[in-house]
Amino acid sequence: MNDQNYRVLSSETRLNEEYIEVAKEDFRTACVSVLKRHDAFLRLMFCTDERAYTGCFRIYAVFSDSRINRFIVINSAVKDNLAYPSITPDIPAAHWYEREIKDMFGLVPEGHPSPQRLVFHESFPEGSFPLRKDWSISEDDLKQWSEGMVVKEPYKFMRVEGEGIFEIPVGPVHAGIIEPGHFRFSAIGETIFYLDSRFFYTHKGIEKQFEKLSFGTGVYLSERVSGTSSFSHSSAYCMAFERMCGIELPDRAAAIRTLVTEMERLYNHIGDIGNMCAGSGLTLGYAKGALIKERLMQLNERVTGSRYLRGVNTLGGVESDILQKSDDIRSTLAHVVKDYRDFMDLILHSLSHIERMETTGYVAKDIAAALGITGLAARASGIDDDMRKCHPHLLYETLGFESNVLTKGDDYARMLARAADADRSILMINELLDMHFSKDLIAGSYSVPSMQYALGYSESPRGSLFYWVKSDHEGSVFRVKLRSPSYCNWSAMPFAVNGDIVPDFPLTNKSFNLSYSGCDM
Amino acid sequence: MEHLQFLIILFFAPLVQGLIKKFKAHMQGRRGPSIFQTYFDLLRLFKKEMVISETASWIFRAAPYIVFSSVLCAAMIVPVISVNSEGWIMSDVIALIYILALGRFFMALAGLDTGTAFGGEGSSREMTVAIMVEPMIMLSIFTASIAAGSTNLSRIAETHAIVYSPSHIMALSAFIVAIIAETGRIPVDNPDTHLELTMIHEGMLLEYSGRYLAFMEWAHYIKQMLLFTVAIDIFFPYGIAKIGTFEDVAISAAIYAGKILFLSALMAVIESSRAKLRFFQLSSLLGGAFVLSVLAFLLYIMMGR
Repeated sequence: MNDQNYRVLSSETRLNEEYIEVAKEDFRTACVSVLKRHDAFLRLMFCTDERAYTGCFRIYAVFSDSRINRFIVINSAVKDNLAYPSITPDIPAAHWYEREIKDMFGLVPEGHPSPQRLVFHESFPEGSFPLRKDWSISEDDLKQWSEGMVVKEPYKFMRVEGEGIFEIPVGPVHAGIIEPGHFRFSAIGETIFYLDSRFFYTHKGIEKQFEKLSFGTGVYLSERVSGTSSFSHSSAYCMAFERMCGIELPDRAAAIRTLVTEMERLYNHIGDIGNMCAGSGLTLGYAKGALIKERLMQLNERVTGSRYLRGVNTLGGVESDILQKSDDIRSTLAHVVKDYRDFMDLILHSLSHIERMETTGYVAKDIAAALGITGLAARASGIDDDMRKCHPHLLYETLGFESNVLTKGDDYARMLARAADADRSILMINELLDMHFSKDLIAGSYSVPSMQYALGYSESPRGSLFYWVKSDHEGSVFRVKLRSPSYCNWSAMPFAVNGDIVPDFPLTNKSFNLSYSGCDM
Repeated sequence: MEHLQFLIILFFAPLVQGLIKKFKAHMQGRRGPSIFQTYFDLLRLFKKEMVISETASWIFRAAPYIVFSSVLCAAMIVPVISVNSEGWIMSDVIALIYILALGRFFMALAGLDTGTAFGGEGSSREMTVAIMVEPMIMLSIFTASIAAGSTNLSRIAETHAIVYSPSHIMALSAFIVAIIAETGRIPVDNPDTHLELTMIHEGMLLEYSGRYLAFMEWAHYIKQMLLFTVAIDIFFPYGIAKIGTFEDVAISAAIYAGKILFLSALMAVIESSRAKLRFFQLSSLLGGAFVLSVLAFLLYIMMGR
């Protein structure tokens, strides 16, 4: 700690979170030195409006690496002139976070290479920062907003110019029934030269909404952020709350959470492997994948009452004792596994399908690392990033979880990473069903401490998922920050498709299978 | 009477499409829509209002009629269930290929006309594919023409020109690949996709709606059945009626229906069993098929069968 070139104002360690406060001027140096020293990733970055208590905004950058179970949270107060040194030039993974903070709080990242609006499009009123505590929107602003185009300067897409280059705009309304997102290809003939994209067409203001709800009702909101990872979201949210209050989760509740997380992963992965077949036109594979996914979702409904596994999680534990229905899970799973093996057999013998996936959508390891790519997209590019292993939670340590890392980085590698993940999920589900646990579903009484905060996380089917919650003086919600895997991974798309041909984009897109909803929060 | 044979193609073409869809659904373990669904879809489209881009020129409006009438003209010169080469001098294969090319040309123009990216993409891809497919069709038909000593389709069907020869198998294989490419099926194009970026045929039609779309779709079905019929005429014309008695024609019609069923099932099997090719790899499939058609042609000239 002697060679450090920044001054620590204060530091505090709780659980596996180490909060280091530095002066605003040192923020960039501190972040860079933590990143370099620990070979860490930027996990998330956010801001809080503490003006009512301390008279300043506070920015946080959370780092962790895949070897040590510890999060380093660099934070500093931003008081005067509402600007701070941008870390994006050194840590590209921060580029979206800083633009989001600018939109939401009005803090300017000085030195950001492209400080355009991110979350809010041209129609949103200027000088209106919704996540500030004193935010309110005037009638005038609302009227302007509904009429569109307030900002004079339209959004600048990256433009490639030259002979034979043309642009293909796609979306935000697509031909399939999916959510909105705009892609702009610069192509030479069929070859993609550059891809720029724009999201947040359906920004829902979820973080602001959390502040209006109690911690308890927040669980329902977190379940509805992104349908396909409802359970991972609510688990991470509950975990953040439980860590904030110092609640010890009963082992039965931990087991049920682990079980349901893996059930969620399994139905997603099998459905996604099937979906990739739709990307290459292998209709038989698509139909089979959809059928197996449907069986698993029907099992979800029988066991939890919800196809998307909602209503299981609650603060301090789980609502229903799913382990009592272990016979149904076991027998359905046995059937599904048989079908799943046939399905994988079909896919791995469809050379025409594999040929489409191989070398397509290649993401190099250094690019994936620089952009902070997470989940199976990172694991397919040779980065050992799995929250279940790096930061063991729930019962993953007991189960002896090991992650699967592949190196090819193409669509095929992402499919294989899914398959390997699904295989391990099946193993873990069966293992969990054979174990014995105590009776308690929910932890005993607890009280919400004031001005306390903690991180919660889970490994959703798409990748790492973070919630950071903070209580206020009365013990109600002060701030909830959530970061979904899609938010990080969309940045990889332009790199993945670069040099590929336009008709291969849907396949690569499906190999990542990112969520628009999980991004437009 | 035999000049009205094209009505069979005109009215049964949507049924063939429905059949292929049904076969495909069964292969994927689905129940699938009724085989008559294509008729309902066409009817619905004919009734619907059209939305036409402001930037569309007369080409966009004329193309559906030109495309539809070109395939209809082509259907008129193809013997379906009865042949009579003396009375039917119009049924010329070269004319057939160029009438179809006219339709293709206008469809590609219409794709470009509205100036949307997907239309342009579709048109450019369609022409790329066409460059490889057209000579293939020509060469495989010419092999039969040389054998029959005529480019008259009726004559070729009558003489069973290249049946039972090595050239037969090679030319047939090339022709099947050509049908797949021409009808926009996997592995060349995917008719069922909603993924705009991968489309070829559908890409050109994206801007169409209502009646125009109905004509375009119907024309596509007709073209498909027409190519099936040409394949039958050239490569397995067994049982096609020569004299116009009612009994002969009825038997011929039944045999024809059986052959169409077989071809539809074959298309469904090919389409269900593999993924679409990467666009730039199409040249290896189509190029391979072209080589086959050349070989068929050379083999026939050298071996005389």
